[in-house]
Amino acid sequence: MSEMDPVVGIDLGTTNSVVATVRDGVPLVIPNRSGQQLTPSVVAVARNGKALVGALAKRQAITNAENTVYAAKRLIGRRWGSKEVEDARRVLPYTLVAGPDGNDVRITLGGKPVSVAEISAQVLGELRADAEAWFGVPVSRAVITVPAYFNDGQRQATKAAGRIAGLEVLRIINEPTSAALAYGFGKKLEKKVVVFDLGGGTFDISVLDIGQSVYDVVAVGGDTYLGGEDFDRRVMDWLTFNFARENGGVDLRQDKMALQRLRDAAERARCQLSSTPTADIHLPFLVAGGDGKAALHLTKQFTRDKLEELTKDLVERCVAVTEKTLKDAGVRPAQVDEVILVGGMTRMPRVQKAVRDFFGREPCKGVHPDEVVALGAAIQAHALAAPPKPGSEVLLLDVTPQNLGILVVGGYFQTIIPRNTTVPTNQTHLFTTVQDNQTSVRIAVLQGESDKATDNELLGEFVLAGIRPARRGEVSIEITFDISADGIVGVSARDVATGQEQSINVTATSGLTEDELKRIIDENLDDLLEKKQSTVDLERSRARVTTAIAEIEALVPAVQAALERSRFGRDAVQKAEGVLARARLALDGKDTAELARVEEALERTLQLFKGLAASPPQGA
Amino acid sequence: MATAHELVEKGIRAYVEGRLEESRRLLEEALRLDPASSRARSYLLLLPGGLEAGLENGPSAPPAPAPPRPVRPAPEAPSVAAPPGPAPARRGPQYAASPWDDGPASSPSIFVGGEGGLNLDAVAEKSDVRLLVPWSARPTTSQDDVAVWMTAAKDLLALGDFSGSLEMIEKILKVDPEHAEARDYLTRNEATLVAMYESKLGPMGAVPRLVIKPEEIMWLNLDHRAGFLLSQIDGAVDYESLFALSGLPRLDTARILAALLLDGVIAA
Repeated sequence: MSEMDPVVGIDLGTTNSVVATVRDGVPLVIPNRSGQQLTPSVVAVARNGKALVGALAKRQAITNAENTVYAAKRLIGRRWGSKEVEDARRVLPYTLVAGPDGNDVRITLGGKPVSVAEISAQVLGELRADAEAWFGVPVSRAVITVPAYFNDGQRQATKAAGRIAGLEVLRIINEPTSAALAYGFGKKLEKKVVVFDLGGGTFDISVLDIGQSVYDVVAVGGDTYLGGEDFDRRVMDWLTFNFARENGGVDLRQDKMALQRLRDAAERARCQLSSTPTADIHLPFLVAGGDGKAALHLTKQFTRDKLEELTKDLVERCVAVTEKTLKDAGVRPAQVDEVILVGGMTRMPRVQKAVRDFFGREPCKGVHPDEVVALGAAIQAHALAAPPKPGSEVLLLDVTPQNLGILVVGGYFQTIIPRNTTVPTNQTHLFTTVQDNQTSVRIAVLQGESDKATDNELLGEFVLAGIRPARRGEVSIEITFDISADGIVGVSARDVATGQEQSINVTATSGLTEDELKRIIDENLDDLLEKKQSTVDLERSRARVTTAIAEIEALVPAVQAALERSRFGRDAVQKAEGVLARARLALDGKDTAELARVEEALERTLQLFKGLAASPPQGA
Repeated sequence: MATAHELVEKGIRAYVEGRLEESRRLLEEALRLDPASSRARSYLLLLPGGLEAGLENGPSAPPAPAPPRPVRPAPEAPSVAAPPGPAPARRGPQYAASPWDDGPASSPSIFVGGEGGLNLDAVAEKSDVRLLVPWSARPTTSQDDVAVWMTAAKDLLALGDFSGSLEMIEKILKVDPEHAEARDYLTRNEATLVAMYESKLGPMGAVPRLVIKPEEIMWLNLDHRAGFLLSQIDGAVDYESLFALSGLPRLDTARILAALLLDGVIAA
């Protein structure tokens, strides 16, 4: 593997995403083209039709809510009609529709239904472009992180997003594992670690057992609707309430522009209060005064104490979820060797104090909460791409992310292959009939962590018929799960007595058919080529403009001489200077339309100059 | 002494109110101060007789030095004391007569009104002596002004003077952002106007930045939409992205940005 063929690790977050790499043995974050470490996971089609990704998309998320997609991660790989999708439909301002097969979720963006994988692909594509700008060479391989609770479908959909973005996804790894990897980079660890991840939109708590090169996620919990956005909303509510009180009841929530500015200001103030005790919020000309009065300003000093007062219950919710997760896993806080803080919200002093109080120890300060997951992914990508020196391998194995099993009587879920089993693998369990003379049985294949079948994801089902009629409990049905190295789950059911057998193959899908995926990838390739063609066109246009400027400048002395002999067109040089100034300005930009306009103006000027320069002296 | 811009304003107002001679005088005076004033030229073209011969070289004609001109008697006012000496011959571009051209050294002229009394207006014009105006009658922006500006905007548009026309519309929208006719005007001429505003901004790829101190923003006269756009200007976002971010119609965004640029609030 050559050093010229870079690989990256990507933390594809609900709210923000980060791309990182390992250079000269040191993991580091790649800043985006605006110089920021974080890229908002937001995609939009602006009102003027422009496609926006990242910070720009976020900055118009409220004013153009119906065409701005955020938190697509909540939907990726989900089935239409699932509880998660229904929950999301209640809170998301953009429109969700069922895919062509009725199972998949599509998002209406710019008037067209788009798969969730395509939305995520746009974010990944932006990160890829940032990485390419940083490396100066194409980037085509990545490790992408997902929450530990993601099922196979969600992982496949994330992989599909990577493919659409032109990335070969070397591996999908769990976010807490990735964080622990970055934390343990260069260390030999044998520890029980808790990863406390409070991001922009979700809260995840994970307990990991780290052995020699083995990172085992032993418990996962969290709240998929608890994050920095909830904290910001509290600040916004407080500001809105106070503003209405001080301005005769003017309700900022009725004005999208005001609300957009308010949200940006709330987020900025909340971040600032992690390092300073006060933050000034100053929003001039925020909202129309009404009745033709001047626009109103918002000026407020916000304190850390106030923020903590407003968000006390949110922090308490984090602690309660942590407590429950540890309790379910049978782990006492005192047994935890290290707590790794992940996510920007964990910078908030009150959150850190809550963690410290709960675990009775200082959380780990050695890792950057915003970057740690991407850094871990980069470490893994580097390990996969360029095997390290013997003895220092930290290579995660592909494991089943969740329990795999079948539906059994009473609506329960029977695990056949437990979570974290290394693939390939196979397991066989014996079952029996529930009724006398039962001749057929329905096998529903499920994946998930709950004992209740309905809480888990249905991967497929089939019927085994021709069972020998017998009293209930006397028939032996053998169920075998076989997972190949490619992640394909084969499930077979066999009547031991008769040898009658039925089987299905269950492949976790992204929600897109292979044909659909290929078509999208091809289209994306076309877009990419079109962009490259635009770049070529831009450069050609610049070259033509530069040449025309030089030609005009060369003609200036001759034109001036000609003008001295003429009563007309005295302002020709002055006008040409204006055109030249505009052309030089256009050369600095990337506006092809402006360059084209400038080219036209230059051409006219050039023709005029040529004519003037060639005109014979009067009386000659 | 009034500036060329103020004279044009007064001239347009006089034109719209039917005081054509006064309008001509004011516009010509404006043109003398600012020979490049296309608005003054546009309105002079509307007046009976149009531009005088010397002015018809077009806007690009180099400004000629102001020739000495005779004092012109006030209309309908017979002169009781004719200015001494013969009137010098006109040469070069012939501007309308201006009472200022003779300078302070010239002999005072006394004008008598039609009924034999002193023509105060004529005296005021000659001497710059103006009467006081009661506070209650001070000039304010009124619906009358708005109507005048609207008429002026239409006339200028008919003459092809988009920027002059647009200036009038902006004045209207400044005092009445929801003025239906002004907004309708904007809609009807959107493509032309957008192009005009954008030409004022320069290349769409240019990145505008704030050139006043943030604490000075409060002292500007902005509406909340301009406030929103201004809050999006961070020195990293180019014009094209601002159009995408604004959520406003392209015309409004272009108009606001051009105004911010013109007022020296931002620069690219």
